[in-house]
Amino acid sequence: MVKRGSLFLRILAISLIILLTAGCWNRRELDTLAIVSGTGIDKPEEPGKVQITVQIIKPGEMKAPQAGGGGEGGSGGQKPYWTVTATGDTVFDTIREMAHKSNRKLFFPHNEIIILGEDAAEEGVQKYLDFFARDHEPRWLAWVLVGKNTASEVLETKAELEKVPAISISKLIEARGATSEASAVTLHEFLTRLMSKTTAPVASLIEVSGQGKEKTALLTGTAVFKKDKLAGYLNKTETRGLLWVLNEIKSGIIDVECPGGKGKVSLEIIRARSKIIPEIKDNTLHLAVEIDEEGNLGSQMCSDDLTSESAWKTLEKNQAAVIHNEVMAALKKARELNTDIFGFGEAVHKKYPKLWKDIEDKWDEFFPNLEVAVIVDAKLRRSGLITKTVKPE
Amino acid sequence: MKLEGGKIAGSELVFLMIGFTLGSSLILSPAQAAKHDDWLAILAGLGEGLVFALIYTTLAVRFPGKTLIQFNDIIYGPYLGKIISLGYLWYFLQLGSLVLRNFGDFFTTIIYPETPMIVFIVLVALICASAVRNGIEVIARCSILLVVFTFVVIFGTAILLAKDMKFTNLLPVFDIPLREFIKASHSAATFPFGETVAFLMVIPFLKKVKEAKTSSIIALIMAAMLLVVVAVRDTAVLGITKTISTYPAYQAVRLIDVGKILTRLEILIAINLLSMGFLKIAVLYYGAVLGTAQLLKLRSYLPLVLPMGAFMVSLSTLQFGSNIENINFAQEIYPYYALPFQVGLPLISLLIAILRGVPKKMKGAKK
Amino acid sequence: MLQRIFKKIHVQQILNQNVQEKDSASPKVSQDNLSRDLKQNLKMLRNILGPSSDVVIREFSFGCEEKINAALIFLDGMTNKTIINESIIKPLMYHARLISPEELRPTNSIEIIKRTMLSVGEVKKVTPLEEAINDCLAGDTILLINGFHEALVVSTKGWEARSVEEPKTEAVVRGPREGFTETLRVNTALLRRKICNSNFILETLQLGQKTKTNVCIAYLMGVANPRLVEEVKSRLKRIKTDAILESGYIEEFIEDAPFSPFPTMANSEKPDVVAAKILEGRVAILVDGTPMVLTVPMVFIESFQSAEDYYSRPYYASLVRTLRFLAFLITITAPAAYVALTTFHQEFIPTPLLITMAAAREGTPFPAVAEALIMGTIFEILREAGVRLPRPIGSAISIVGALVIGESAVSAGLIGAPMVIVISLTAIASFVIPSQSDVAALARLILTILAGFLGAFGIIIGLLGGLIHLCALRSFGTPYFSPLSPLSLLDLKDVFFRVPMWAMLTRPRGIGWHDFKRQKWGLMPRPPRKNE
Repeated sequence: MVKRGSLFLRILAISLIILLTAGCWNRRELDTLAIVSGTGIDKPEEPGKVQITVQIIKPGEMKAPQAGGGGEGGSGGQKPYWTVTATGDTVFDTIREMAHKSNRKLFFPHNEIIILGEDAAEEGVQKYLDFFARDHEPRWLAWVLVGKNTASEVLETKAELEKVPAISISKLIEARGATSEASAVTLHEFLTRLMSKTTAPVASLIEVSGQGKEKTALLTGTAVFKKDKLAGYLNKTETRGLLWVLNEIKSGIIDVECPGGKGKVSLEIIRARSKIIPEIKDNTLHLAVEIDEEGNLGSQMCSDDLTSESAWKTLEKNQAAVIHNEVMAALKKARELNTDIFGFGEAVHKKYPKLWKDIEDKWDEFFPNLEVAVIVDAKLRRSGLITKTVKPE
Repeated sequence: MKLEGGKIAGSELVFLMIGFTLGSSLILSPAQAAKHDDWLAILAGLGEGLVFALIYTTLAVRFPGKTLIQFNDIIYGPYLGKIISLGYLWYFLQLGSLVLRNFGDFFTTIIYPETPMIVFIVLVALICASAVRNGIEVIARCSILLVVFTFVVIFGTAILLAKDMKFTNLLPVFDIPLREFIKASHSAATFPFGETVAFLMVIPFLKKVKEAKTSSIIALIMAAMLLVVVAVRDTAVLGITKTISTYPAYQAVRLIDVGKILTRLEILIAINLLSMGFLKIAVLYYGAVLGTAQLLKLRSYLPLVLPMGAFMVSLSTLQFGSNIENINFAQEIYPYYALPFQVGLPLISLLIAILRGVPKKMKGAKK
Repeated sequence: MLQRIFKKIHVQQILNQNVQEKDSASPKVSQDNLSRDLKQNLKMLRNILGPSSDVVIREFSFGCEEKINAALIFLDGMTNKTIINESIIKPLMYHARLISPEELRPTNSIEIIKRTMLSVGEVKKVTPLEEAINDCLAGDTILLINGFHEALVVSTKGWEARSVEEPKTEAVVRGPREGFTETLRVNTALLRRKICNSNFILETLQLGQKTKTNVCIAYLMGVANPRLVEEVKSRLKRIKTDAILESGYIEEFIEDAPFSPFPTMANSEKPDVVAAKILEGRVAILVDGTPMVLTVPMVFIESFQSAEDYYSRPYYASLVRTLRFLAFLITITAPAAYVALTTFHQEFIPTPLLITMAAAREGTPFPAVAEALIMGTIFEILREAGVRLPRPIGSAISIVGALVIGESAVSAGLIGAPMVIVISLTAIASFVIPSQSDVAALARLILTILAGFLGAFGIIIGLLGGLIHLCALRSFGTPYFSPLSPLSLLDLKDVFFRVPMWAMLTRPRGIGWHDFKRQKWGLMPRPPRKNE
């Protein structure tokens, strides 16, 4: 018994000695951290260099307005964030470079967005993203965006509802479901697509609008990469077309013509599911994209009676046609850019692994001429709180 | 004079073996060479591992109450037996130091880049030393709670990641050449499963030796199931990026994000690694210490605990310069290096034992 | 090193013991027997009992023709005067005359008196002087009669004692409210009333060379493992010390792991709790002079079981049980986890929370680990002060603690507000498991320091160390951490949840496991079947 007890004490003593003599290496108090909420990567004028912009949260200022009793937003005058830019040879080097500007160490785990400037994206992003994949601090859940302007400009915009622009942009992406017209790509998804031999990476596209102090950022579609280089953009419609295929539609509005032809009817997407089905018919490869959609009647801007069976059926048909057109638009753009943004190649790989070995390397020639059938099954489920529209009987 | 007075129950052996097998393979996925087919490779490796386990338990049942070191003497005679035993002691120590090294690398990579690795290694070794001093009974008892906790974490994270899982990532099944698949499954057999050869130092302390066979088989199957769950979880979540991840399990759990609240749970993986790795090191450490004491015919193994620990710690820091070296060793050399210890010698021992009909004849003479 | 020091201390103890033994064999108490001469006996007694003011020696004579001299010796305050007056002196003085003189001769009077005249329940004839004196010191009355070398010891114990009250430490909402008192006999009676069984054995022995404290071992024969009972007895008999004032003394002499911070013997103030434990096969040790009754063996989870779990409905009891485990985990890890999260693993804190916490830390001077240690120390001081102080002042302490230290320290910017929340949470959680609260305080301190140096790694290492220690501990042969490990599935019925009473078929396995059947199968209440 004595042995056991003294061993306990002994180990305690040894551990304490080790700890005390060793000191504390990784310790950093909360107030020594510069919490990065957003990162932007740009290509500066100077060739071979990289310019990085980070947005650092100032926790003290974040709380101040509430403590001061509200009033106008930002009554303190101080912005609750600080945007720092630095230039260097490599990403890591540049980030460490910022230590000369910020007395606190940059802290990346709470980085929510990575914005790639257009120039940088066109040059190729693998070299920029490796750091974010390799280092233990940045998270793979950060959103990847491409800024049509420079990344630093995007981070300089003003956010009305949030205190920090980067957080605002991140929430913007999270709220995309209302329209499903902007893609949302995490670093992890981006890396997955980057590593795939055929699937082209995509990223959300962000633009700056407005002038001077009133600049705001808005999502305008999708940026498409060929390998790791920016190849082109999808507009909102094409983006939704892409999302239909990728099975990432959450909600959104589909505008169709009234069966009578005078005005529009808005249909709200309630549920959507899609499947990519590769098939070999007559020794050629076909792809079918099956989309099942369910919608509700959201608003009616014509005075027709839509409750009749024929009108309802027409609406459903129109709805399917709109979806079909959106997908075709995306497909057209993808063929133009020769980028397999839908992951058709992977689908073929999974279904026909043997065949895939032959066509894997020739996919670039294959893809633009691939036959894709889009089969849409769109349903309208409910009409809302009223049946016929508000008008005299 | 008995070196070890403790006795363990069959259920405790099951838990201990699960913990041992999960050990560091929880974070270093065992058959990573098989890419998204690693779960198949693990199952195939289990098949091979079960054969190993049968050899070990047959040996253990043939020599009830005798450890590997003791029956080596009986089978091969006192001189050759001692040399073989020395080889095993080296193997245990080296394996223990490898796991220690994994600890050090893991913690310095993911959380504490500025802290010297030796701190983690020494602290873990100290904890293991205190467990070893308390004997196999205590190590076995610790395993129950730790394994149950790991169980909960593995399934819990799998459930939390359910919405991020794309099971199509597992397709196409069997996408790699057979040669590579066999290589991967063999490395899975040697990396966690075959290492249970260390249990030849533990099984003699079972209350009922007959339970050894069933217990080991149950333990290996359960551990393999857990590893398959982990492998499937990681592949389904990470997809192709799994192949470049140093620690796929950690990377996968980092992606947990349920409603912005249940997120950032990767510390759980660190806890799992620490608790399972602790069991693994403790068993290997115990095997080495007890074996040495038996080899030198000491009356107590306690004086050996700290020196052996110090040796293991230094070995772990000197063995590799970087984690890349470690990975290369684990994938390329280890599967062949471990073969004689895991299959070759036990199989030969068993054959010789059967041919010479040893246990009956020698039982009275020895001891 | 330490081992050697302790060995030295041990040697010294042995030396001390020799001194004590010599001391106790001092000439004051002779080994002599009583003499036939009353005068000489009294002289001897006066000599031995010395100048104590509470010793009363009452000399008198009785009988009608031949007066027989006699003396009563008793201790004032420890005896029941009514018994002495009404049942000893009165019969001797009055009724002795009614007996025929032939019958009451000086030669046989002692037998006659014992048989026919003393109307007291317990009278015994004693020859050795020492025994008589010991009885007298315990509150009995010695009756010495001239001409006899025997004394009659009449049981007249009776003193002012605290009555049976509701225990302060283990309050219940539902369940019996009586608690043990300082009097051993009352305590054994309380137990006996719960267990009306001839197999319920109360064995008494005296410990403490100077205090001669009565210590009582209580167990249920046939249920308690005889080896356990023997072990308890032999360990108790090993105690050779001068004083036993509280059961804590005994605990430290006979526990399995004297260096462990964990208690390996349970104590309780409630007869129902002790009775339940005895019925599970445990052995209770009652010590005269304290209401705290020890029960052995103790297992870790016992600290999480409360008497009320068994009196309230199983669902709620199970919920509360689980909450206690949670509270224990919180109380030992909360400050450490806070320190680890804020100084090492900021990446694990959700962003909005991190911003709030960082804002609260802005401008506070101390590192988080120092904050945690300072606040933890202040809390312990406040608690200690609150326990020792009389109740009215106690509330003042809480005001000072809560307002001045909590509120002002935050508003003055000395301590971050989250830290105050963490410490108060810890404090509240620590009250949930009173029997492990001192261990919890120690564990909390160690874990906080470890977390301050190595963050989560330190905490896990600390917890692993604790687990190893818990798994290695034993209490009277029972593994301390059972039934969790070694795992006993049957006993999990009473760990994280409590199954209904009709499903508690067996006694706990770890504790002796002598007579395991508690009740028969199939006692679940159900509506009567048709053919019944």
